[in-house]
Amino acid sequence: MFGEKAYLLIKELDRNRDSLPPYNTELLSEIHNEVKQLVTENQEDANVSEQSRLVENVSYVPTLKIRHAAIKRNIRCILAYHYNRLKCLKTIRWQFGSILPPEVKANLSQAEIDFFSKYSSSLMQYMRGIGDDGGVNLAVNLKPPKSLYIEVRCVVDYGQLELTDGSALLLKKNSRHHLPRTECEELIRQGVLEHVV
Amino acid sequence: MDEDTDDILNNIIDDDDDANIQMTPAELIQKMEEIWINEKFAPELLPHEQEIVDLVLSQISAMEDNVETLPSADFKKGFYQLEIDRIRFVVTSYLRHRLEKIETYVLHVLKEDEEREEAYLSEAEQQFALKYKEALEEHFDNATMFYPGLPFEDWKSNFVRPNMNSFVFLKAKSNVEGVVVDRGQGDDNEIVDIKAGSQMLISYKGVSDLIKKGDLRLI
Repeated sequence: MFGEKAYLLIKELDRNRDSLPPYNTELLSEIHNEVKQLVTENQEDANVSEQSRLVENVSYVPTLKIRHAAIKRNIRCILAYHYNRLKCLKTIRWQFGSILPPEVKANLSQAEIDFFSKYSSSLMQYMRGIGDDGGVNLAVNLKPPKSLYIEVRCVVDYGQLELTDGSALLLKKNSRHHLPRTECEELIRQGVLEHVV
Repeated sequence: MDEDTDDILNNIIDDDDDANIQMTPAELIQKMEEIWINEKFAPELLPHEQEIVDLVLSQISAMEDNVETLPSADFKKGFYQLEIDRIRFVVTSYLRHRLEKIETYVLHVLKEDEEREEAYLSEAEQQFALKYKEALEEHFDNATMFYPGLPFEDWKSNFVRPNMNSFVFLKAKSNVEGVVVDRGQGDDNEIVDIKAGSQMLISYKGVSDLIKKGDLRLI
C-alpha cells in the first residue's frame, strides 16, 4: 500500500518522543524510491493519456490523481519527520549549549549537523546583540529562581572549580556543596552536579 | 523589600537614559512584568519593547555594581542578589518567549513585518528570523529535492499561523467601549463595553489591538 513506509517513519518518531533516534537513512531511501517510481509511472501515464485521449476515450486521470496524492502524502511525511527532529534538536541546544554530546551527534545526519551549527551561531549572535556589554546568555535561569544557594552533589570527578569570588572548590564524586545558584546551573545542566532537594 | 530595592536603585543616576521615558525603578519593573505576562499569554507576537528591555538590563548591571560594594558578610546582600536574579529571569523569559514564537511562526512573522510600518521585531530579532528561515529552507530543500520533477509541495506558501481565536484572560486598566465579540457563525456579533478593573475570559481576536495599545492586560 502506498504511504506505509512513511507511516512507519512517523511512528518511529512518535515512539521516541523526547530523544532523537538515529537518522533513518534506509527507510528514507526506500520512501524516496517509492516516490520516484510513482513519479515515473505518472509521467508515462500522463504522456499516454494525451495521445490516446484523442483516439479512444481512455483516460488515466483517476490513476494519476491517486498516485499524485500518494506522492504528496509521502513528501508531507518526510517533511514532518525532518521538522520534528529539528524541534528536538533545538531543545537539545537550549539544554546543553553549543557543543553536542557525541551520543547525540552520532544520531544526526550531515544536514542536521549543519543546521545545528547555523542555528547555534545565529542564536549566539542574537544573544550577544541584546545587552550593551557582552550580551545576555538566555539559556540560564530557565526556571524562576527560588533561593540563592542550592545544595548540590557532585556526580562525577570534575576536579577544581573556580568560583566568581575567587575561591576554588575541589569537586570529587559524591561530595556535597552549598553553592550559589549562578555557579551551579551550568554544571547541573551538563550533568556534573546534581541538585539535591 | 521594595523600599530597600528602591534605596539601592536610587543610588544610581538614571535620569537621562531615554528622553521620553521617565519612570521610577519600581514602575519600570512593574512594566517589565506586565509586558512579560502579555507576551507569555498572547498567541501572536506582540510589538517589541526594546527600550524597556534595555532600561531594565542597565538597571540590573547598575544594581550588580552596587551590590559588589556591600561587605560580603552583610546578609542583606543575599536578598539583593536574589532580587537581581529574579529580575534577570523576567527579562530572559520575555526574550525566550519571543524567540519561541518567532521560530514557530517564522514565515508568518516575516511576512507580516514587511507589510506593517512599525515592525514588531527588533533588528536583532529580524536578523535571527532571517537566518533561521534560511537554515530551515535549506534543510527542507535538501530533504525533498531528491528527484527532479517532483510536485512542489510548496511548504513555503502554507504558513503556520498563530491561533487568533484562542481564549485569554484579561484585566481592563481603563474603560473600553465597543469591543466586538465575534460569535463565529452568522452575524450576531455582540458589542461589549468593558469597565475599568474588570476581569474576563475572551477570544483574543477581538481584543488584540487594545492589548497592543495598553488599555487591557493579560493575566
